[in-house]
Amino acid sequence: MKVKYFVVFLLVFVLALSACTPEAETPVEEPPAVEEPVAEEPADDPCAQDAWGCAVIQPGQTIKIGMSSPMTGPYADFGIDAQNSGLIGVADAGDVEGFAFELVAEDDEGGAEGGAAVANKLVADQTFVALAGPLFSGATAAAMPIYEAAGIPMMSPSATAGFLTQEGSQVFNRLPFVDPIQGAAAAEFMFNTLGVRNIAVLHDGEDYGRGLATIVRDEFTELGGTVTAFEGITPGEADYTPILSTIATQSPEVVYFGGYNQEGAVITNQMKAVGLEDAVFFGCDGTWGADYLSQTGDNAEGSIHANTRAPEESETKAAFDEAYLAAYGVGPVVLSPFSYNSYDAVTILTNAVKAVAFLGEDGNLYIPRGALVAEVRGTTGYVGIGSYSCDAIGECNTEGPAFETVVNGEWVVLD
Amino acid sequence: MKVLKKNDRRLKRSSVGKMIRNLFGVLAVLFIIWRLYLVFIVQNNYGPETWTRLLIAGLVIGSVYALIAIGYTLVYGILFMINFAHGEVMMLGSFAGFFVFEATNAINITAADGSVTSLTNAQPVLSIILAFLVGMTFSAMVGFFLEKIAYRPLRKAPRLIPLISAIGASFALQNAALLLFSPQTRNYTNPEFLARGAGWRIMINETAVILPYTGVLTMVLSILLMVGLLLMVKRTRLGKSMRAVAMDKDTAALMGIDVNQTISNTFIISGALAGAAGVMWGLHNGILHYFVGFLPGIKAFTAAVLGGIGNVPGAMLGGMVLGLLEAIGPAALDISFQLKDVIAFVIMIVILVFKPSGILGEVLSEEKV
Repeated sequence: MKVKYFVVFLLVFVLALSACTPEAETPVEEPPAVEEPVAEEPADDPCAQDAWGCAVIQPGQTIKIGMSSPMTGPYADFGIDAQNSGLIGVADAGDVEGFAFELVAEDDEGGAEGGAAVANKLVADQTFVALAGPLFSGATAAAMPIYEAAGIPMMSPSATAGFLTQEGSQVFNRLPFVDPIQGAAAAEFMFNTLGVRNIAVLHDGEDYGRGLATIVRDEFTELGGTVTAFEGITPGEADYTPILSTIATQSPEVVYFGGYNQEGAVITNQMKAVGLEDAVFFGCDGTWGADYLSQTGDNAEGSIHANTRAPEESETKAAFDEAYLAAYGVGPVVLSPFSYNSYDAVTILTNAVKAVAFLGEDGNLYIPRGALVAEVRGTTGYVGIGSYSCDAIGECNTEGPAFETVVNGEWVVLD
Repeated sequence: MKVLKKNDRRLKRSSVGKMIRNLFGVLAVLFIIWRLYLVFIVQNNYGPETWTRLLIAGLVIGSVYALIAIGYTLVYGILFMINFAHGEVMMLGSFAGFFVFEATNAINITAADGSVTSLTNAQPVLSIILAFLVGMTFSAMVGFFLEKIAYRPLRKAPRLIPLISAIGASFALQNAALLLFSPQTRNYTNPEFLARGAGWRIMINETAVILPYTGVLTMVLSILLMVGLLLMVKRTRLGKSMRAVAMDKDTAALMGIDVNQTISNTFIISGALAGAAGVMWGLHNGILHYFVGFLPGIKAFTAAVLGGIGNVPGAMLGGMVLGLLEAIGPAALDISFQLKDVIAFVIMIVILVFKPSGILGEVLSEEKV
């Protein structure tokens, strides 16, 4: 009896699994009927010359673009949004010589261990050529050496910790503005534009939030302002009234928070209840987003956040918005602020692959890894949803953030 | 002779260990007193209004912890296992309550004068009662099936096995919620008169301290539920059979008590309490996602240990004490709020040093364990 149950259970499980698996677009390779003139083979074999050799994609295989992001856990929104956007990017990329792209999104839980584990898993696959990610700075720092050794170019849509590009990595590039720029801009904005002199600084204790908060504190003090409190909170909780109550005793004019919108929303809501009614909540690009608005309602009015300068309206953006909404039932930039960056990251990578890949005489596609790394780093004048040109250390965005406030439940750009 | 000597040595070693433990305890207590002296006598940074705010926050979160802790303690009392999936049971109850409010919000009622309001606001008391009923029923069902699926087949297995099964069940429920409800953070839509942040304004030191309605509802309701549970355990037939099974399963079975049914009932009751805690959590904090049960679950487990696991009034007391420690501890000791869990846990260790079985715990007989 027991065995029978087990078999039935197994059967149901397998059925459920197969129902869940999205229909993979099986890249049916038509054998090239017409002898394509192979782009004239250079005198020397580029694969032999390349420091990391070539990725060889055989007919029937796909060119794999990896993604490393938190897809479970408290920041799953970010990873799922990146995956959603990346899938559209891959679909838009079309194919190279009949070889399709495939997005392999892996869950790194946003942390260092996960980042390294995903990296090791991905580089084991010969057909994996480039990584759109990791999303979070902690995972990026841990994973970078592994991708470096394997010659995998990285294009992170959102890892903003300052030190990431300072370590001489050849493979790491990123699209967001970095924390030092944002922190300095925020401090300057508070001191000069808002004219406040007393602020309290909170952070969530993570690499990103704490780093940003530290920069804001130092810059603001340097400008001549007073930081009344510098405190960390435990992320993931739903009640921060105790810490806010103690901060309220110093009556700061602004409460700066470095962290993500989940905690930012809780803090905004609870500020009203503990005597910080008159203080302005000043968030960062981690707190910006529709989620913040829906969770704070009227309490959000007047709060200020940093955000990537909104992309110009363009055909690419409109097409992406439409595809995203059609595929997932919500608009882009709802789950996380990085939908557009994720799409652009994937597109930059697929463009680079198209630029360096060549078809061998044996019908396999060859992608010289070193050339691909150089191609991604050398991105200039890319125009997708945003426009990017990467510099020598892999910073592809030199613009500072825009500061936005909430008026009647809508984001309004200050400046 | 030999035996005596051996005993002697063991006696000696244990007394050294005890001395070290006590020394640690005394040092920790001295440290706490020193910090308290600094904060209250020397610095005196915070006025009574701040302390009142901290107290309110502590009592509210403490009563939620207490309700969840009861679930841990009831199950431990009967099965001697820690039901680590209990926090997830609370999360699912919270979701059930959330969907009730979503439904009542979607139904519009046209009043006699033609104004349109949602059912939530037209019948606020009814919708709150409905949310609690649905949340508690759903969580009770989750608890019931959890026991059937994850624990009953392992009843005869060594004690560690159901523990691992519990951790597995916790992950399974969490990820089931992730897949069912998506990772997005949801918000409770409270009835207007129970809006979050609204409350009685108490003037202390010419500053308004808000005593939130949702907080008072949480405290009052959890005290009612706890009193009801105590009465049930003490007075009813069901409570009697639970106590009998907790004492000795085999003898209880010989006396004609359906042991399996009693264990199921225990899971149903602890699930229902967790469901109530979940709805309260949603009403008071407003924020809900699939991961929301994890932290309160761990904290409530701690509270149950602090109060003396297996002891129902102990779990209540432990929950309240832990909530208050978390809220007031960092300010009272002038330590960063980031370390509030460290403070709470150090104080817990100090208490357990002097009272290893917890505040109200009794020493379990060898046979029972």
